Amino acid sequence: MAEDDDGGRTRANRIEIDKDAVRRDLMKLVLTIVELLRQLMERQAIRRVEQGDLTEQEEEDLGTSLMHLADAMDELTEEFGLSPEDLNIDLGPLGPLLPRNR
Amino acid sequence: MTGPGSGELEPRATSLFGDEEVALVDLLDRLLAGGVVLAGDVTISLAGVDLVRISLRALIVSIAPVERPGTLAARAERAELESGRG
Amino acid sequence: MSDTLTYVYALAHGVDPGEVEGLTGVGGGAVRLLSTDGVAAIVSDVDRAEFQERALEERLEDLEWLTATARAHHHVVDTLGHDHLVAPLALATVYFDDERVRAVLAENRDAFSAVLDQLAGRAEWGLKIYARKGGGGGDAGEAAKPRSGAEYLRARRKALRESETSLDDAREAAMEVDAAVTELAAATRSHRLQDAQLSGQSDPMVLNHAYLLPVERVDELRALVASFADHPKVRVEVTGPWVPYSFAQAAQGAS
Repeated sequence: MAEDDDGGRTRANRIEIDKDAVRRDLMKLVLTIVELLRQLMERQAIRRVEQGDLTEQEEEDLGTSLMHLADAMDELTEEFGLSPEDLNIDLGPLGPLLPRNR
Repeated sequence: MTGPGSGELEPRATSLFGDEEVALVDLLDRLLAGGVVLAGDVTISLAGVDLVRISLRALIVSIAPVERPGTLAARAERAELESGRG
Repeated sequence: MSDTLTYVYALAHGVDPGEVEGLTGVGGGAVRLLSTDGVAAIVSDVDRAEFQERALEERLEDLEWLTATARAHHHVVDTLGHDHLVAPLALATVYFDDERVRAVLAENRDAFSAVLDQLAGRAEWGLKIYARKGGGGGDAGEAAKPRSGAEYLRARRKALRESETSLDDAREAAMEVDAAVTELAAATRSHRLQDAQLSGQSDPMVLNHAYLLPVERVDELRALVASFADHPKVRVEVTGPWVPYSFAQAAQGAS
């Protein structure tokens, strides 16, 4: 395919893994995806609560799990020196990964 | 920077900004029929080589509860449909 | 078959062939004038291989190529637009050859003339409106740690709804501004909201419109925009004056 860094399909969003900082960048990739899923799960959970679709216990358990997930994410991002900005990718039609006011 | 108060709003059709001041996005809005959209894909590259493309559109589907008549959810859903939302 | 195509930048009134001398366009080609009966086409030769349909589709995906081509195109349109009435065409409007262009000019002379007449004495201005970052709304900085899972969900729900509301408020305000400017305009056109990655803006864009404004109303536009300078919900940006790119569709349609 022989595309250089900024030529070719530059319209796609790119996550660069620098060979000299593989560990950090790999974590950034992993955490970005995890954060996406966490946010989606949280939003979906809220929707389900609003729809009155869950039992009280389900709500409580879901909420606690999400809270722990959020805490875990905070710890991990801090450990790897990443900010919310670092974890953000704009997906075009899907909108940014993270809402701009988090 | 083309902003209000930039003092460059001259009332003559012939006073146009020079090339350099025109933002690419603004130009592309006008030159391309549909404007510009970045694909909803993510490309992962290593050592400057693109290796993997993830199409996230395909992967994300929100899971809605199965409708059971009489539940709060089912009633809410019906109300949503009736009001034409969503 | 020739290895070039004829690239058309715009239609124009009253341009002297001498005035395009030395002007270069896309791919460095020399800009020329093709005129019939008052309406002229501003053209240059481009590489057939580069602009043939399938090749072109791929190029349009290449941001580097797109940028260079857009700037070259704009250079031609903007230079001539300074002193002449110009109806710009979309990027990469190409014809088989000059003959074909002349034929199209002849066939559509009246329609093209009408488009140019519509643009006389008017310039395009753009409004880009962004939602201001919320005043603490949606911020995940919880004052107290939620004591239960349900409480956490409630707090997150509140934060999300608040940020949605503030976006709604911004949209409402944007409509207000739009309505006011529309009063001044001869025509309006809305553009797709700009991709944040391309524009580099972190505030969400809520409106991206173009307005065809009679030149004598520019001061009113300035005053209007100034009145929104301190709006709590939105930030208004103006671009222009532009050669009326967004208002020459009729010219485009005939090709």
